[in-house]
Amino acid sequence: MIGPEIPELLPGTLYLLVLRALSRGPLHGYAIARRIKDTSADALEIEDGSLYPALNRMLVKGWLKAEWGISENNRRARFYKLTADGRKQLERESKQFEKLVMAIQRVMRTA
Amino acid sequence: MEGLARRVMAVCRLTHSLRASTFDRELDEEIALHIELRADELQQDGLTRGEAMARARREFGSPLRVKEETRAAWEFRWLEEMLSDLFYAGRALRRNPGFAAAGIVSLALGIGANTTIFSLTMELLFSEPSCRSPGTLAAMSIGGNSHAHMRHYRFLRDVRIFDGLAGSNEEAEANWRAGDETHRLHAMRVTDNFFGVVGVPLAMGRPIEPGDRDVVVLSDRFWRTRLGADADVVGRALTIDGRPYTVSGVLPHDHRTVLGFGFSPDVYLPASRESDVVALIARLPEGMSLPAAHERLILACRELDKVYPPEWNPRASWVTNTDVLPVAGMARLRHLRMVPFVAFFSMLMIVVGLVLLIACANVSNLLLARASTRRQELAIRLALGAGRRRIVRQLLAESLLLPLLGAGAGLLLNVWLAGMLNHVQLPLPLPIHLLIQPDWRLLLYSVVIALLSALVAGLLPALKATRGGVSAALKRTERQVEGRSRLRGGLIVTQLAVSVVLLTMGVLFVRNMTKSMTMSPGFDAEGTVWASVRLVPEKYPTEEQVRSVTSAALSELRALPGVDAASVARVVPLNGNSIRGDRVLADSSGEPVQVRFHNNDVGPDYFRTMVIPILAGREFVASDRKGSPEVAILNENLARRLFGDRDPVGRTFRYPAPTPSAPITVVGVAANSKHFTLGEEKPLAMYSPYAQGAGGNLAPHLLVRSSRREGLVREIARTLGELDPSAAIEVKPMRNALGFALLPSRIGAALLGSAALLGLALASIGLYGVLAYSVTRRTPEIGLRMALGADGRAVLRMVLRESAALAGSGVAVGLGVAAFATRPLAMFLVPELSPTDPPTFLGVVGVLSAVAVAATLAPALRAIRVDPMTALRSE
Repeated sequence: MIGPEIPELLPGTLYLLVLRALSRGPLHGYAIARRIKDTSADALEIEDGSLYPALNRMLVKGWLKAEWGISENNRRARFYKLTADGRKQLERESKQFEKLVMAIQRVMRTA
Repeated sequence: MEGLARRVMAVCRLTHSLRASTFDRELDEEIALHIELRADELQQDGLTRGEAMARARREFGSPLRVKEETRAAWEFRWLEEMLSDLFYAGRALRRNPGFAAAGIVSLALGIGANTTIFSLTMELLFSEPSCRSPGTLAAMSIGGNSHAHMRHYRFLRDVRIFDGLAGSNEEAEANWRAGDETHRLHAMRVTDNFFGVVGVPLAMGRPIEPGDRDVVVLSDRFWRTRLGADADVVGRALTIDGRPYTVSGVLPHDHRTVLGFGFSPDVYLPASRESDVVALIARLPEGMSLPAAHERLILACRELDKVYPPEWNPRASWVTNTDVLPVAGMARLRHLRMVPFVAFFSMLMIVVGLVLLIACANVSNLLLARASTRRQELAIRLALGAGRRRIVRQLLAESLLLPLLGAGAGLLLNVWLAGMLNHVQLPLPLPIHLLIQPDWRLLLYSVVIALLSALVAGLLPALKATRGGVSAALKRTERQVEGRSRLRGGLIVTQLAVSVVLLTMGVLFVRNMTKSMTMSPGFDAEGTVWASVRLVPEKYPTEEQVRSVTSAALSELRALPGVDAASVARVVPLNGNSIRGDRVLADSSGEPVQVRFHNNDVGPDYFRTMVIPILAGREFVASDRKGSPEVAILNENLARRLFGDRDPVGRTFRYPAPTPSAPITVVGVAANSKHFTLGEEKPLAMYSPYAQGAGGNLAPHLLVRSSRREGLVREIARTLGELDPSAAIEVKPMRNALGFALLPSRIGAALLGSAALLGLALASIGLYGVLAYSVTRRTPEIGLRMALGADGRAVLRMVLRESAALAGSGVAVGLGVAAFATRPLAMFLVPELSPTDPPTFLGVVGVLSAVAVAATLAPALRAIRVDPMTALRSE
């Protein structure tokens, strides 16, 4: 039952991951979590409890839009979609993130 | 600041929670789906459905926490936007300080006046007495009497039908000897268990307790003003009514008597004399209703009948006219016949409500005027993609900020005005002191008032400002938008109409006051001096001793140089009630008539002293003494009522009930005069010889007529003081004593007059603002007319005509309403004044026309002096 150790998310990266997950099209909440888990090959797992507050904060900021639709198991589900603002934010954040990762790597290698 | 943020937060939460139910439902659905999908997955891994669901739930954690956090995400937005709206609104107000000041001052005056009258009404009529759980206290009366004798009280107390029964007499007086002077104190005489039963809190020392006789509890006012706030006062001895009393305690600053109405005696003394009478107050057992208490009281009264049958008629019963009333609230006011009082305050509340309405209309007009100049700015913002909702909210915030600031300033005004009212010393024979403090009722009321005025003043402009599409707003210049100016015109007409009504009321009451002040009371107040004396009961145990000191005082007063006449009376007209209802049998035969008349006991020379003409017969003389045949003098009204056109002098009458009295001979007829109020109509009055009816009266009123003014008052006080140093003596010219009679009309005039002035001032500001604004808006048009050669006077006439139309319709509507609205006021006015008094209405029209002309002339004159080129260029 004991799975591989899951690293904690860096602060602020949750938005980035959600934005990225949605960049290929609208998804509902569970699918977002699933997509992040799958694409990271189970290395990253979003705490369920923090997903929905984060999604709502992003709605408030205007990065996402929500619409009700039908899920794959034929249930009513809320689908989240990137807005233009959200796309811009994704670009900005991924650039920053890359810079940050490179900087950390540089430090890790040389120091 | 933190407090403010918290409150703003609370407001946001409230607005949010209005939409919260949908929000919660949707989030619940989302979470349920999440858990289900995870469970589906786990089931595919080989778990049973139950296990899978349980695990999915565990993994998800607390849905409550998730919901809380999710909600917080939205609340925060509301807070942020609200604060930024308010911030921008504040900046917008700062940019237009004149506009902001006019709005805030209007509302501050309106809300200040409103909340102050509210506080005053609450304090006077609905204040809570200082006592333990007033809900289980009940005021009681038996046999139709407001007060009960001590033996009856003791009987009812000892049958123990309630948790406690106490008594108090609020009309008691006491003489306090301090150094060489004797002061009259307003005392409340209470039974020794009063403080315990009622549960009156003390600031210092202990209350009057069962068994106490010579102790006194001081009011905070007496302790501060008369005893210099002596910290060691408890245990100190005061000489009261010639006996040493020990101070046992001091009441707190905010002590309110059970009686209410701002009544605050100087001291509480034990009611220990057998001759004392007390009003009953009972502590009911928890849960006992007033009707149940009433039933118990009736049972007890039946027993009382057996032991002490009513002295006026042994066959009567104490059960008749028993009453059980709460110690506060409307039922009690009705019982005390305070309904006219309540009506007066209701009217005041309506009046200040109208003042506030005028103030709101002012602010509304200001906001409308500004909104129309900002129309293009708003249109541009709409075009740039701002949501209409966002802009309405922004405007609403601006509209809200103004009333909020106004309400804040109004509350400050309220506190200041209440402080002033607390220090007002009314010329009353009763110790009435107001103690108005801001409390939760005031706070609640102000919040409601502020929100209402915000809505009334702010919502309309906010909605109006964003109506119509973007393109429409961009295309038109504000000058062409005529609809709104019609709205503003309507507001002004309403405002004027309301202020006409207010002004009519105000002028009516001012005229009422001047009428009452110049009205002759039927006696001469100018050359008469009034000395009221209170003798210490312990010093004069027999009636004979009281008689001899009274006549000694009179003869000493008559001997003073310059004194023409002196007399004595039991009641001084317009300063005390002597009303009596009885059946009278004229000529000692025929049918008795029921009459309500003023029955005063007066000494020889009374009519000469007061300058009340004797129309027939004679005045009382020294030989009308106790033991000699009973005689009376009637006033014209009563003489006519009893004897018709026959000459009453020499005729007799008698009281047939309860046992037929001896015949009383009418020896004279006096001219009519006022007895209780200046407003009374055709009072009936009977005078009896002082020596026959009131010889043993311990508080005689001595009246002195003299052509001399200088030093007479002091000399009378000295003469009487030498006669008995322990007597409390108060000497004043009769003119001052009329203050009490004039008080209602003065208060009415002061309160309504100032409310009317306030309303007029606010309406004038509004009128001026709107007229000035509309003339300014028309400056280009006027410039064009002038450039085309129009005559300045013609333009002036045109502008004036428009304002006259506006003002004229306002005044006309107002007069129409006033003619009806003032009718119920008749009950507050002297009979000589009709509510539809023509001079009042004419005066009001004159004042408002003057204001309208002044408000138009200044901007119009400015407009025709504008250089045509400047005016045209601004187009």
